[in-house]
Amino acid sequence: MTARDVVEVFRKNFGVAWPDNDRSRRDTFKVGDPDTVVTGIASTWLCMFDVIKRAHAAGLNMIITHEDTFWNDPDDVSNLADNALYKIKTEYCKKNGIVVWRNHDHQHARRPDQVVVGELKKVGIIDEDTPMNPGVRVIPETTLAELVAAIEKNTGAKAMRVVGDPKLKVTRVAVGPGYAYPRRTADVDVVIGGEAQESDGAYDDTSYVRDAVTLGIPKAQILLGHGVSEEPGAEELVKWLRGYITEVPIQFVPAGEPFWT
Amino acid sequence: MDFTNISRRALGRMAGSLAVAGIPLYSAAGSTAQDIVKQMQERLGGDWPATGLDGFKAGKPETAVRGIVTTAMATMEVLQQASKAGHNLIVTHEPTFFGSRDGAAPPAGRGAAPAGQVAAPSGQAAPPVAGAAAPAAQAAAPAARGGGGGFGGGGLAADDPVLKAKREFIEKNNIVVFRLRDHWQARKENDRVVGLADSLGWSKHLVPGETMMFDIPSATAEETVALVRKKLNLHGGLRAVGDPKAKVRRVMLYPGMMTPDIMLKYFGQVDLLLAGEVREWECTTYAGDMNSAGEKRTLVTIGRVASEDPGMRVCATWLKTFVKGVPVEWISAGDPFWRQS
Repeated sequence: MTARDVVEVFRKNFGVAWPDNDRSRRDTFKVGDPDTVVTGIASTWLCMFDVIKRAHAAGLNMIITHEDTFWNDPDDVSNLADNALYKIKTEYCKKNGIVVWRNHDHQHARRPDQVVVGELKKVGIIDEDTPMNPGVRVIPETTLAELVAAIEKNTGAKAMRVVGDPKLKVTRVAVGPGYAYPRRTADVDVVIGGEAQESDGAYDDTSYVRDAVTLGIPKAQILLGHGVSEEPGAEELVKWLRGYITEVPIQFVPAGEPFWT
Repeated sequence: MDFTNISRRALGRMAGSLAVAGIPLYSAAGSTAQDIVKQMQERLGGDWPATGLDGFKAGKPETAVRGIVTTAMATMEVLQQASKAGHNLIVTHEPTFFGSRDGAAPPAGRGAAPAGQVAAPSGQAAPPVAGAAAPAAQAAAPAARGGGGGFGGGGLAADDPVLKAKREFIEKNNIVVFRLRDHWQARKENDRVVGLADSLGWSKHLVPGETMMFDIPSATAEETVALVRKKLNLHGGLRAVGDPKAKVRRVMLYPGMMTPDIMLKYFGQVDLLLAGEVREWECTTYAGDMNSAGEKRTLVTIGRVASEDPGMRVCATWLKTFVKGVPVEWISAGDPFWRQS
């Protein structure tokens, strides 16, 4: 089975539109020869150098990553020819026969979105009556501080950032993964997202909540970290893929929370 | 020059030289917000198109100014403090109404770059926006990168309680808000870095010939972070990537949003890079990979507003050099975040 064959498995079975002339600039091969014979598959949310090394150590030579490999969203490498780290990372991959393929847009396009499913399970906000899609969820009334503590415990995250009154009573939450998402709606007490531009973006939720707090209007924001919000999606992808590929080992290789505080 | 002991002749020469440059000193007593802004604009130069981000965001420009406040962000808290002190012209670096367009109608054409990314006059902070031109097919995906239509104002309804209360407070207290971002960043004096270095006590460590690099007394990354946290009064916004025990000597300061092109250009030259904010899957990853490759360098992000705060203190100092007769004060907007652990 080649890396190209693995992608073909997604194309046929993933359940999202996948035209032959797929023009997604994200979901392409980033490193290596697609015709490489696959010894094992590593699924991760972010193709960090350390992830590549651990995958290689585990005998896995195909990496399926949700996010980029070369430090910019479209994985544009046109200006990296002289970058020392780019050389080190790509030469390591070449030497060890690593192939990297990205599955971002298609993974999010699935319904339910695998990344959202993973996040909701990890964060611990699951309502069996609600589809595992983004949207407003009603949880038993708790305080913001208690909610944050529970999420920290469930995710193991250490660098979450919070805006809002810790004593605020919350019951209506919106949970979503990644960047600048989910968008706040008027009926939500707390938005739980990955990361968001702090200010000067399309909409600045951090500033909004900050002012709401000063005005005594009950709103809050929890930023889990992009990785904390999306990493569980890579685990979901492993579960799915194992239903279709049994010839080679498939493992979740976490990138981990990168921060210390 | 010793400013406490300037002879009348020297003062005359200074005033004269300013007058020659066509910028006379003047008394702002009795001035309107428009008058003071005009003085600022003349000194800053450049074009001030109505479509730009800089400009009046709230209040009437013809309002008589009782006092001026500079701040990184005109938050409700800052507005309350300003009003309490009797000041009514707010000069803010960041938006007031929860989006780069401050609640104004979007520029023509959906999918235009988020206004926050519009090129600064100097080109200094003109981050390319990955995702802004995302194929339409992806726009519905959750991670469409928040580009959207660049609406600003959070796309909030006019009767949104926060928006409404903030506007009412501004109106009731006769406040005028003027945004100063692009033209302030464009100044060759590099005030944002100067202010941040000053707050950190590092001004004297500026590397000769450099504008953003400082050789600080040797310390570990975690000691440096502890100092930064204390000096800037940070709460939960600071996050670091790298080895806490790594030795730090050369530091680069980059207030505001740092894009990958800046990160890739400079990170390999410094022990610690301190920025306002970055995107996790870009610069944070680069820092992690650099450490995986064996080079112990640290990336510290302290938050966008916290990083821009000191630069707006410099703005107050600058305003005082030509605005006489009305008080000018800097009010810190501060770190908005807290953290449990």
